Amino acid sequence: MRNFKTTALLLTVPASLVAIGLYAAPILQVLALSLTEPKLGFANYQSLFANAAVGRVVMTTLKVSVMTTVLTVLASYIVAFAIIHMSAGWRRISLFLVLVPFWISVLVRAFSWITILRRRGVLNSALMEAGVISTPLDLVYNLLGVTIGMVHYMMPFAILLLYANLSDIDRRIMQAARSLGARPATIFWRVWLPLSLPGIALATLFVFVFSLGFLVTPALLGAGKTLMIAEYISVQISSTSRWDLATSLSTMLLLVVGIIVFAAMRSPALRAAFVARPQQ
Amino acid sequence: MTISHFAQDAAQIALEKFNRGEIDRRSFLFALSGLGLAAAFKPGAALADASEIVVCNWGGAAVDAFAKAYGDPFTKKSGMKVVIDGAGPAVGTIRAMVESGKVIWDATDGGMIDSLTLGKGNLVEKIDYTIVDKSQVPENFAGEFGVSNYVYSNVLAYDAEATKGVAPTGWADFFDTAKFPGKRTMCKWIQGQLEFVLMADGVAPADLYPLDVDRAFKKLKPMLADIIFWEGGAQTQQLFREGEVVMGNIWHTRANLLNKETPDKFKWIWEQNILSASAWSVPKGNPAGKKVFEFINSTLDPAGQLVLLQLMGNGPSNPKTLALITPADALVNPTTKENAASQIMLNPTYYAEHETELQNKYLDFISS
Repeated sequence: MRNFKTTALLLTVPASLVAIGLYAAPILQVLALSLTEPKLGFANYQSLFANAAVGRVVMTTLKVSVMTTVLTVLASYIVAFAIIHMSAGWRRISLFLVLVPFWISVLVRAFSWITILRRRGVLNSALMEAGVISTPLDLVYNLLGVTIGMVHYMMPFAILLLYANLSDIDRRIMQAARSLGARPATIFWRVWLPLSLPGIALATLFVFVFSLGFLVTPALLGAGKTLMIAEYISVQISSTSRWDLATSLSTMLLLVVGIIVFAAMRSPALRAAFVARPQQ
Repeated sequence: MTISHFAQDAAQIALEKFNRGEIDRRSFLFALSGLGLAAAFKPGAALADASEIVVCNWGGAAVDAFAKAYGDPFTKKSGMKVVIDGAGPAVGTIRAMVESGKVIWDATDGGMIDSLTLGKGNLVEKIDYTIVDKSQVPENFAGEFGVSNYVYSNVLAYDAEATKGVAPTGWADFFDTAKFPGKRTMCKWIQGQLEFVLMADGVAPADLYPLDVDRAFKKLKPMLADIIFWEGGAQTQQLFREGEVVMGNIWHTRANLLNKETPDKFKWIWEQNILSASAWSVPKGNPAGKKVFEFINSTLDPAGQLVLLQLMGNGPSNPKTLALITPADALVNPTTKENAASQIMLNPTYYAEHETELQNKYLDFISS
């Protein structure tokens, strides 16, 4: 057995080397640049905190990410909850439909949303023909459009995470609750919800961290008016040559995400999510 | 801008025309080579030796046949092979190359402003005017570190159906929502943006530089909710086509394409158009040395510049080209005398000094 472990470990070496070479090394280079560009020291980080514009970009990013996370987890919970209550056949179809967006590029999805949401788009035309509204609504090229696009992007991830968690919950507990006289609402609030907290925590963490780094969706659906961190960094690298700003902001983002993940993993709910459940 | 957003866009226009069969392959390749966009997209082959010239541009468009069409004529003339790399000569990339001592490009297509930025950073060679014929282009197109290969303009385009046939008369109408109700579009890259806002606010062309940023922002602020900011040329066409905007500050090449599509609906005016010059630069320590200037000199030839104008509308940097153009071409060319009557020229020196700071201020302003 010991021999097998050594062999298994050795087999991971090539992949680790590739990961270090292509991933860790460039990140370290970014870190190094943030400390040396244009001269050695922490000046870039000091000016980062003094930069009001960066502060606004960070606030926009947080605002959009929090909104996206709340809406995504809420909507995904409803979908996942419905899926686990379906018959096996419907469940397969539903899960398939959840997976479909995974195969469509983020660019195509953003452009599709523009087609749906623009002033003479599918949605506005339908609403106007139905007489619900008389002037088109501004659904895209603003914060709303960005949020819609991002929630749509994140939902399959959250649904799958929640589905895995919800389908693991022992249904006999609900039967026990019912036999003790609990109404459906009580069963949901006092049994389903507490038991699914690990799944909710995991989905929330995942969606939030992912949202912080969104680039394409805000750039296309925000039309310049919703400026998030990733786009800001990309502009500083390629357009304005402010590598000092770009690298120190990247490093800060990485650091903050690392701290969030580290802190979250210490919470009981998330730790529970990673503990292997004994098979029933 | 350290990325030539315009050059990328011009290549895209050519590719679309080529795909629709509106231009033949030969002309397409010729046009792109004039743009510095002949992309024999061979990253592996980009390691230059002294017997070839490597040109870096923004397009990865038509790949294989490209080297042939672009390389052959020059090879015939000079005996040198031409390799073209479509990787995009961003200032950041050139800087990384020069500082690491691994320069693989001989000529880069980046714009007059870039040439100054690069020159200031000591990253490019001076243009050798003993080889490049300075008299081919106007004096301000022959810079110390860059010489112009073509020009383009920011113009006011409008949807004539939405304005019920009323034509705007200048940038002031961009802000006149009573006379021209509807949304507007302008660019999220700073070049040519604050100029039009200031002119609309009554600043005389002669007093534009240094740009009064606060005044421009003050004028723009009440309009922000009605403006959609574009970042690429194709997007400007899309915004007009879909009826999303009725008016906008866009590149004349895209205004021309919109007009070709729907002549009665989409129009533009040349009043107060803002002219920018694109330019060749030579990274310091380029592999082919002085030979690159022979190539650069050949791109100033009026014949080639004419083809570029006919295919994409990019204006010639060589005024002698004007003698060759037809009346129809003259209408869409930013350097035609009538079109240039109230034209202002983007000030490269000012931008080389202030663009970074301005761009970030501007992004902050439009997103807050």
